[in-house]
Amino acid sequence: MTAKLDPLIHPITRLSICGLLAAGADWVEFAALRDAAGISDSVLSKHSRVLEDAGYVEVRKGAIGRRPRTWFRLTAPGRLAVEGHLAWLAQLEEAVSGGLREVQPGARHGDGDQPRRLLPPLLGSS
Amino acid sequence: MRDVAQDSAALERLRVQRSRLADRMRPPWWWWSGVATLWALAFACPVGSRFLPQGYRIWPILAAGVAVALLLQSGLARATGITVASPMSRHPSGRPAATAMIVVSVAALVTEAVLIDRRLIAATIVVAGLAVVAEIAAQQAQLRGIRQDLRAGGGAA
Repeated sequence: MTAKLDPLIHPITRLSICGLLAAGADWVEFAALRDAAGISDSVLSKHSRVLEDAGYVEVRKGAIGRRPRTWFRLTAPGRLAVEGHLAWLAQLEEAVSGGLREVQPGARHGDGDQPRRLLPPLLGSS
Repeated sequence: MRDVAQDSAALERLRVQRSRLADRMRPPWWWWSGVATLWALAFACPVGSRFLPQGYRIWPILAAGVAVALLLQSGLARATGITVASPMSRHPSGRPAATAMIVVSVAALVTEAVLIDRRLIAATIVVAGLAVVAEIAAQQAQLRGIRQDLRAGGGAA
């Protein structure tokens, strides 16, 4: 798996959906995903359709009595893309916290009190 | 330019969301009652098969037990909104508990068989009772492991 930014997953809502589906569950039901991500029904529907069209998410529809139920799970390419994106984010987080640690012992750069943030090399391409 | 601070905060936000998802993986009371009944039924089989009146067969009871187990799993998925793959393959934190459940099952059934041969029925019932308690404790540990894996992202993050 290579750490790389995936523009399709990068928007925060899609990252939440994919990150939750990649957590280790097999299938996750619509309401569980919506509640865990803290988003509305319409937002989840909209973004899950984008992910489904991209082949990242598989959708299964069913019903319990008269109530329709929708279940989601990541496809194999989707899982690979999410893991790569999360690895990229982890690198970024490490680089940012490392950069902050580097400047906190008193070194200030130029204009005032804001600590300088060192960008990871990966950001150069985005 | 991309907001670096926001990007790195995304992982923290995802950890909170995964924690929320993991908290849903708590079975309701009826699931625990059903599971305890099934374990009790399973560990009552050695005694039952030996002492049931002639003409009664244990296999229909076992088949009904399997059907109830499948219904319980389906009910759990509906209640929690999450289905999980086998803990042995996908959830490393649940593996020790799953192994313990197999070991307890085998040990209890063998012990019961030995005790029944020696006509120690009271001791057999005590062993069966203890095995049910041990299985429920192992199952709770397994679910704790699965929740832990869901929080940690199952190695994905």
